[in-house]
Amino acid sequence: MLVPGMIFLILFKYTPMYGILIAFQEFNIFDGISGSPWVGLEQFQKLMVSDEFGRVFRNTLLISFYKIVILFPIPILLALFLNEVAKMWFKRLVQTIVYLPHFLSWVIIAGLFVNILSPSGGLINEMIVALGGKPISFLIDNNYFRSVLVLTAGWKEVGWNAIIFIAAIAGIEQDQYEAAALDGAGRIKQMIHITLPGIAPTIVLMFLLRIGHLLEAGTEQVLTLYNPVVYETGDVIGTYVYRVGLGKLDYSFSTAVGLFNSVVGFLLIVSGNWLSKKLLNRSIW
Amino acid sequence: MNKRTYADYSLDAVIYLVLILMALSTLLPFANVLAKAVSAEWAVLSGKVGLFPIGFQLDTMKFVATSPQFIRSFLISVGVTIVGTLLSLLITAVTAYPLSKRKLPGISVILILFVFTMMFSGGIIPNYLLVRKLGLLNTLGSLILPALISVFNMLVIKSYYESLPESLEESAKMDGAKDWTILFRIILPLSGPVLATIGLFYAVSYWNDFFSPMLYINSPSLKPLQLYLRDIVMDANSVTAGLDRSADDLMNVSSEGVQAATVIASTIPILLVYPFLQKYFIKGVLIGSVKG
Repeated sequence: MLVPGMIFLILFKYTPMYGILIAFQEFNIFDGISGSPWVGLEQFQKLMVSDEFGRVFRNTLLISFYKIVILFPIPILLALFLNEVAKMWFKRLVQTIVYLPHFLSWVIIAGLFVNILSPSGGLINEMIVALGGKPISFLIDNNYFRSVLVLTAGWKEVGWNAIIFIAAIAGIEQDQYEAAALDGAGRIKQMIHITLPGIAPTIVLMFLLRIGHLLEAGTEQVLTLYNPVVYETGDVIGTYVYRVGLGKLDYSFSTAVGLFNSVVGFLLIVSGNWLSKKLLNRSIW
Repeated sequence: MNKRTYADYSLDAVIYLVLILMALSTLLPFANVLAKAVSAEWAVLSGKVGLFPIGFQLDTMKFVATSPQFIRSFLISVGVTIVGTLLSLLITAVTAYPLSKRKLPGISVILILFVFTMMFSGGIIPNYLLVRKLGLLNTLGSLILPALISVFNMLVIKSYYESLPESLEESAKMDGAKDWTILFRIILPLSGPVLATIGLFYAVSYWNDFFSPMLYINSPSLKPLQLYLRDIVMDANSVTAGLDRSADDLMNVSSEGVQAATVIASTIPILLVYPFLQKYFIKGVLIGSVKG
């Protein structure tokens, strides 16, 4: 029974790992891995001194950092708020609506936001103009592009990310609330002293998971939204690998960038898991 | 039981207001694009269309729905999604079965090999070179085969199998049933909900995939819907130019309107499966992500 699964695993997961070797070569597609000359760490030296890579690495960290700081707390708040809603139909309705964008592709979301943010008649700019401002070309302005990335990522995933906290809240024992109510704690006090501590382990776990994916600043998202004008602030490791590798056909250098990305990402995930085992006695896998 | 105080009412007011605002901000982009898709050309071009259509018309939607490239891309996406989902589901469910038997020798090593690929991968270029070497470039196979098993989905199915009572299999074995019979006759029929969840997850990811066609598909005749949509989103003018349509067809149609209508038309299939999806996905996510 394992045969098809193993063939898949070896062919499509482990063979590409063997392909990483070309990061240590001056790879030529006609000679293949066995025929291309070895150059040791030359590609990595090139990477370390490249201004472009420095910029890309900085963008990746900044975008990811903004997304964590701004977007991590919102799903927790959303879950807390939904928990306070007594009317079931209202709760269901809100949940149904806010989960939906998670299931749309980044291309569709780019299509929606290209319209909304358009300087000529986009909804947001109409509002800005109505309030007496000047229209802003959000998608081709380096001052705003990162904000657009954070905004659209939030729009897509905030609702979905709340699910896990909603489930954690559901797991809190009810008699704690009853005891607190007897002691005269109001709803806000209950929220702060019972619900929040109750879901704290989940919050920490999700936070560590999120840190583990620090270098994934949203390749697909950036690919659908950016253009050469905002490479300055929007180019991230994933899009850079794609651009250099398949655009300029510099396979070896691009694989070196990709390998750097994979190794750092792997270390982040493993240390996140180690921390969560240590702090919470729970591991991610 | 408790009397509602003034503080309770104001707290509720804040909560309902925030939640309503969040729901509205989720819906506004759809309303705006839908309004553009069904508004008159002059209204779209002058940037007057907000949340409601101006000069309602369905010509733009009709134009999109009858565009040969749209129809072709749509059908390719439907085909890839159906074939891909069925194949993925079958192989994932079969692979998960032996992995759920911890007692089998060597199985934990194989499990680690699978889980490792969730954290470390060869990266974009080695994957591209592999697909190229296998001769899959510019074939629909390149959209399905590399994505055949999602390890995350497999772990969800595996933990579901593990929750089934062992006595079921034991009694079947006593009756002389072989492993394949047990899996297909006993285990899978009991796994309906989890298979539905995972099947829908696979379907959504095949339908939404635009990164692999961007890497692997050049030929316009094989472009799936997301890739076609990307061309249109990135360059609205490419829509109306170059299509062999008579001037008559293009009369009441602006490129921005076509862009909007294409976005709407690509969203409809997701909206159709969403109600079914919603019934199951929360459970699926929870099995997958909170394992103690």
